[in-house]
Amino acid sequence: MSDTLAPAPDQPKAAGRSALRSLNFTPRFWVSIVLIVLVALFAFVGDMLYPYGSNQRVGSLFDEPTPQHILGTDNFGYDVVALLMASTRNSLYNGLLAGTIATFLGVFIGILAGYIGGWFEEFLMGVTNIVLAIPAIVVLILISVSIQGTNLQFLKGIIGMSLVIGFTSWPWTARSVRAQASSVATREHIDVAKLSGARTFGILLRDVLPYLASYVVMAWVLQVASAILAESTLSMLGLGPSGTASLGVELHWALAFNAVANRAWWAFLPPTAVLTIISFALLYLQSSLDEVFNPRLRRGKKKNLAKAAERRAEAARRLAAEIEAEVAP
Amino acid sequence: MSDSVFEKPSRRSFLKLGGVAIGGLALAACTGGTSGSSTSSSAAGASSAAGGASSGAAAVTMLGVGNNGQVGTGRSGTSGDTLFICGHQWGPPANFNPLSPTAAWPATGNNNQYIYETPLRWNILTGEIMPGLCKAYTVDGLTITLTMQDGVTFSDGSACTAKDVAGTFNLGKRNEGLSIASFFSDAVSIEATDDKTVVVEVSDVTKNTAQVLRNLCENYVLPMAVFDAIADDALPTEQMDNPIGTGPFPLSKADATQVIMQRNDNYWGQTFYGSLPCFSQLIHPIFNTNDDSQIKFQNGEIDVAQAFFAQIWKMWENGEPVGTFLKDKPYFVPGSMPMLLMNTTKPGLDNPVVRRAIATAIDYAAISDTAMSGYSGEVQPSLIMPSGAEEKYFNASDAAANGWKYDAAAAEKLLTDAGATKGSDGIYVLDGTRLGPWSMITPTGWTDWEAACEIVANSLKAIGIDCSTNFPQQADCTNDIQGGTFDMACWYVSGVNPATPWARFKDVMSQSEMKPVGTTTFANYGRWTNDTVEALLTEASSAADDTAKKAAYDKLDALYRSEVPACPLMYRPDEFFEYNATNFYNFPDEDNAYAPPMLRGAGNTWLFKLQKVAG
Repeated sequence: MSDTLAPAPDQPKAAGRSALRSLNFTPRFWVSIVLIVLVALFAFVGDMLYPYGSNQRVGSLFDEPTPQHILGTDNFGYDVVALLMASTRNSLYNGLLAGTIATFLGVFIGILAGYIGGWFEEFLMGVTNIVLAIPAIVVLILISVSIQGTNLQFLKGIIGMSLVIGFTSWPWTARSVRAQASSVATREHIDVAKLSGARTFGILLRDVLPYLASYVVMAWVLQVASAILAESTLSMLGLGPSGTASLGVELHWALAFNAVANRAWWAFLPPTAVLTIISFALLYLQSSLDEVFNPRLRRGKKKNLAKAAERRAEAARRLAAEIEAEVAP
Repeated sequence: MSDSVFEKPSRRSFLKLGGVAIGGLALAACTGGTSGSSTSSSAAGASSAAGGASSGAAAVTMLGVGNNGQVGTGRSGTSGDTLFICGHQWGPPANFNPLSPTAAWPATGNNNQYIYETPLRWNILTGEIMPGLCKAYTVDGLTITLTMQDGVTFSDGSACTAKDVAGTFNLGKRNEGLSIASFFSDAVSIEATDDKTVVVEVSDVTKNTAQVLRNLCENYVLPMAVFDAIADDALPTEQMDNPIGTGPFPLSKADATQVIMQRNDNYWGQTFYGSLPCFSQLIHPIFNTNDDSQIKFQNGEIDVAQAFFAQIWKMWENGEPVGTFLKDKPYFVPGSMPMLLMNTTKPGLDNPVVRRAIATAIDYAAISDTAMSGYSGEVQPSLIMPSGAEEKYFNASDAAANGWKYDAAAAEKLLTDAGATKGSDGIYVLDGTRLGPWSMITPTGWTDWEAACEIVANSLKAIGIDCSTNFPQQADCTNDIQGGTFDMACWYVSGVNPATPWARFKDVMSQSEMKPVGTTTFANYGRWTNDTVEALLTEASSAADDTAKKAAYDKLDALYRSEVPACPLMYRPDEFFEYNATNFYNFPDEDNAYAPPMLRGAGNTWLFKLQKVAG
């Protein structure tokens, strides 16, 4: 037991570990990454290998699964697997675009408010709070309805949908980034930067943003997940992009044609499953990144934990022995 | 006794436990069977029904049963003495005043004749006008004379006379906001010359006897004793919870969950229809969604439904005793013709070549197969329904020679022959006009029409016409269409009725109702202009006999085919008539066609002919 206290023979080696290794990625991280990669492969590579197109009528209304069409057909007679690939792809595009827009806006507004402070902060946060107070889904529905009524083809598609979602879901990111930015703004290195004559935007970019980077990455992952869900919600209500496949649109048509009562499980279960996997994987990724970035949440491997516990127990025993030895004479 | 099973195990209690477990399994198997996956329980049901219904041979001779030849076992108790019907009322019933715009079923205009009845009844199958409250009618030039049935009474016992018939239509003169007021756009007067005789004078301007007869088939006769006491402006707003009508099933109770009607055992028509209905109660449960009604219907808790159920054949393939009028596709008798309307004031759509290319580019089979679940027959390039009551006017050879059918290559050729060139974005440009972007609208929630629009938009994109869909609220959609601000729309025109196909030609091509864009109109929503069509419409409406009518319709249909102001997308039944022979049999079907597959009009005949499965 005493050898555990001696300098570990592998310590010099530890210094040589790769940077990636030292990030201490947990199994959670790897599980979520594998799920995300699988979904992405299915969406982006799958349709190159799959023989049927997503806009190709191969059967009739809700044909049952057959060896050729392993998930049958939807209400338009399209192959569900082909449709699912196109839908997943569009939903991922939507999530990435909308999530990036929302994160960019949120970080921009939050960091400005938090760093500059004063009336400017009050003003920006006032606007943010007002936007937060309005239920996002109501705003989304109203904008979607009016966009679908126009003749702007560009906005009616999946890109328009992403823009709408991106421009309405930044407020909570802005609020939390502001809180972090205002704490960073009081640190000494900011004063040093100011004294050395750096410009405000330079400070924001080089001296404030890096301290928030871990949070921003996690917020982005969450924004991507919630954008995918928001699009699905709208599409399921029938307010989705016109003439484009997406997971929500698939669910909309499945519901409209009573897939549940018709026992056509292949029409509504696959998109539901893909949606669940995507949002689960993204949320899981977010929580595993949290562990990577926040040392307090960091958990070691099980055997290391056991060793550490033994080490602490041994130290306590020795302390007790020392005290006993002191008291004894 | 009850807890003996759970005492310490002995041989006996072990056996009991086993019995409970097996019973549970059997129960589970039964519920599995009734929900449709196995045919055994239904087959057993059919055989036990055969045993229960008087003789073993009964199952063979029973007519009007499920399309799989099966009947159920019947329901026990009060529900066995009740006809359950659904698909008409989807919200809480507000008012049983038929003049109210928010009238509840069955007081809504031209619906099931349970509380109120009409002077005449129309048969969608034969095109015949059949007797209703009036036993006969004669047309002499522009005068229609109706003779009342004998002994017609209202549910309160008072007599229903010719004065009630005339008075009902004359309500339209007392309040011009009532929908019945439209009777006088084609009729000059309606009067009761004595208690049994009603005389109608048809307008000598429109000479449209068919439209007047249609009104006589579609408007309920109301008790004047009640309606005379109501102030003229209050007629549409009067609250009526205890309606008085001549029908066999006066209202008993109505709330947010159901409408209950109780048989009137003194019904005037028991001699005319042969008997009273064999059930004493009629209930319309109010469901929130189509899904709910479908599940109740396939479980045999609903006897007759009027709703779009996709792939209804799966129900009888799964052993449910479900039936439709036609035993093979399209299962339903076509009765309406949803139209692709094209706004001819929009650049591009003003060109008949483009409109014809659009009509040729649409994959009608896909619409019929998927959006309509196979319930639509082959769509013809004509405004005349090619089967049923209008068949005699349909010119099949001209439709084949000068019409169109789905052919994407031919559609593109029409455009390129006219000089159109494809732009870099894959969309054709004709004479400097890009074909699109056009938006195609239909009200949100009209599921099969929404799906049809998606298929049209995809069909058009496939040949190089830029079209996308949009599904606004019904009110917005109506405004856009009536006001002429839409590009393309899927919308309804006159279904099969006593005044069609004339009324349908008028709906699509009328010039007399032409209004500028922005002003509401009720016909020719596409604002298509033509100098010759009005004369042809008058020729058709005033034609003396069927030969003259056919000649006029041939000319109208030829003009329609050369100009394509709109095009039919599918044929839809006027009403979905679906029945479940769990509790009743002798429903009308093609092998037992004593009544048309209707709920309104002449469809009330079957009400009196149904028989109970369980005797």
